[in-house]
Amino acid sequence: MGRTVTTITQYLNETEAMLAAFRRSLRRSDQYIFDGIFASARKHITAISQSDALLPFETVLLAVLLEQAKDLTALQHELEQLRRE
Amino acid sequence: MNEATGWLFDLYLHPERGIVLWFITDEGVRLRLRMDFNMTFFAAGDFSRLRAAWVFLRERAQLARVRRRDLFLGERDLLSITVDSTSNLFRELQTTFPNLDYYDADIPISLRFIACTGVNLLGRCRLSYNGEWLLTIEPLSSPWAVQHDPLPLRIMRLSLDVDPAFREPNQIKVQSERGAYLLNLNPRRALIISLQADIQCLDPDLILTSHGDDWLIPNLMAWSAETGLRLDLNRDRTLEVQTKKANSYFTYGQIVYRRAQSHLFGRWHIDRKNAMLFSEYELQGLLEQSRVTGVGVQEMARKSPGVGITALQMVTALRNEVMIPFTKQQAEKTKTLVNLIRADKGGLIYQPIIGVHPDVAQIDFASMYPSIIVKHNISPETLGVVNAPMGLIPLALQPLLEKRLAIKDLLRQMNERDCQYKEMKERSAALKWLLVVCFGYLGYKNARFGRIESHEAVTAISRELILQAKEVAENMGFTVLHMYVDSLFVQREGTRERMDFEPLLEAIYRQTKIPIALDGIYRWVCFLPSKRDKRIPVPNRYFGVFQSGEVKYRGIAARRRDTPYWVKKIQLQVLECLAQAKTLTEVSSYIPDAHAILAQAKRDLRNAQIAPEDLVVTQSLSREVERYKTPSPVARAAGQLQAVGRSVSPGQFIRFVYIRGKERVRAWELGLDPRMVDIKRYIELLERACEEILDCFPIKVQQPEYPSSWLM
Repeated sequence: MGRTVTTITQYLNETEAMLAAFRRSLRRSDQYIFDGIFASARKHITAISQSDALLPFETVLLAVLLEQAKDLTALQHELEQLRRE
Repeated sequence: MNEATGWLFDLYLHPERGIVLWFITDEGVRLRLRMDFNMTFFAAGDFSRLRAAWVFLRERAQLARVRRRDLFLGERDLLSITVDSTSNLFRELQTTFPNLDYYDADIPISLRFIACTGVNLLGRCRLSYNGEWLLTIEPLSSPWAVQHDPLPLRIMRLSLDVDPAFREPNQIKVQSERGAYLLNLNPRRALIISLQADIQCLDPDLILTSHGDDWLIPNLMAWSAETGLRLDLNRDRTLEVQTKKANSYFTYGQIVYRRAQSHLFGRWHIDRKNAMLFSEYELQGLLEQSRVTGVGVQEMARKSPGVGITALQMVTALRNEVMIPFTKQQAEKTKTLVNLIRADKGGLIYQPIIGVHPDVAQIDFASMYPSIIVKHNISPETLGVVNAPMGLIPLALQPLLEKRLAIKDLLRQMNERDCQYKEMKERSAALKWLLVVCFGYLGYKNARFGRIESHEAVTAISRELILQAKEVAENMGFTVLHMYVDSLFVQREGTRERMDFEPLLEAIYRQTKIPIALDGIYRWVCFLPSKRDKRIPVPNRYFGVFQSGEVKYRGIAARRRDTPYWVKKIQLQVLECLAQAKTLTEVSSYIPDAHAILAQAKRDLRNAQIAPEDLVVTQSLSREVERYKTPSPVARAAGQLQAVGRSVSPGQFIRFVYIRGKERVRAWELGLDPRMVDIKRYIELLERACEEILDCFPIKVQQPEYPSSWLM
């Protein structure tokens, strides 16, 4: 209410809208993964917002990377457990 | 000369001179007294203009040259102007000298009286009087005491047999301590005679009606005039009933419709259907708000708590000789872009971990924003000042905050069957609403003492504090599932008893110095994903079951105002059904029962077993009907009402039912053939609502956010 600066939620919505043509040209299966990238950024809206970045896109990418690294680490962890069994 | 003790019931301007005060004395007498009462306001500005104003006023007011403090500009030289409280001299002066700065010019009379005498509305006082003139008055109670001598009110309730929006009512139900009976609205003569006899006999202090503001009171007055029979709705017979017209206005991004109002003198009239938040805190809560803020009961009932907060600040300012600007002059200061990005944020709202979680505690900071304002001395004039004395806003807020916390403490110790419990609960809720809005008023552009920077300071501190709380919780091995402005959802394996969370609460309090309490422990709680993409978390859509079996839900269909009652009811039944499970693992055995509830509900609908009023959808009209490009259901319904000559205004709530056929909806007031109900549409609404709950089960095996081995 009464905010001047675009919120990160709005920023992500706008960025996604800007990339609509890009997304449309992707295969349906890739579109799902592409949406997943934005979904993983949205898990960190608060953190991105707290970083006070002038250009939030870099921080958005970091958030996406963080989610990927998390998935990777979880998979590694699971793999190790399977190997041990 | 006579003396008395009692309660100050009401006060208002006399039409000619001074003020009229009403007291309820200890002997039960309703006493009307008059008093001469002067008010002082100030003008400041260019010396030559002030001099001209002085010449203009010379013969007509008491004038003096004084120095007083402007909260933003510091000490100023002023022309002080003292006149009788009924005088219109200010308006005249302002029109003649529009370029002067005016202070203390538009303060409600009740607030001036309170600041000047220390006697609060509904407060106890001792008075002496001679004939109809009040000589002396002194306070015997403080509005900030937790316990009050109960005000002995005589209440008359008038309710109509039907909502006048549907059809012409035929009867009024009259209820008072002397019993209840029905009164026919026709013939008018009999009605007026009978009602007048009742009012004279009972002499009620409060007439509590439904639809009184825009239907019953205006009609009663018209009928009294028509028949030429007296009807003393006012206790003060020298005055007419005051009516205010309905209007629509735009605030906070939405349009609001305000209904007409009927105010009485020497007696209160409250229309339950036109009283803001009345269902939240009932009469006792309303009286509490009036008592602590000084805003008259009839006005407080019809206005937002923001009016109360403004009044509280005004009284504090008057008492501390801080001047109240007539119009706010301060604009926002300039900021660098970086500072704007840093400051222009609200409370911290996290993204929860989607899915169902067992044994989760919700902990809440108590009155977080007001506590921050008081503890960190946040006020427009204290910002950026080191070791500033207590600012105006914390000064006004501190007693309110302390009273709320004291009542909350009392409630915690009280037995729920205690005869005072309900009243205390209502008063606590009323104070809570005042505290809730006080923060918003720091940043509100029209607030007299608002300044956006102080608003930003509060949210900045709150974000810092909740992050500190998160760190404390994580240091103690808790997973923070969610954070929402002033509350956290935490979970730790093996921790599920109240006392196990105590160390966490203490540690957070030690760190932040703001009291934090356990709201409850959920057997399980489910954070729902976005409707658009199941991978995206949303902050305020969840439901869960506390250990007591009580369910809590936010953002689901049952919470939405536009969900029909029937859909809400079934969704809650489904949720209550799952809530019977003592643990999360047991929930799966209740799923078949939940599906059975859903199936039965659909059968009932198809067999026309559902009352049409339970299918009514209520939505607010966001603009004039003609301005809808593609008519939404609510616009169609409003259009139907207009077509039969009913007036509809933006902001008004419109009720309708989905029907089959070209019209698609039918305005509820126009009557409905139950066979027309659009069964398919309602089944769709119901299924969507129940899926919100049932889709979360069975629980998919969730990857824990962090395997415990990572927490090293």
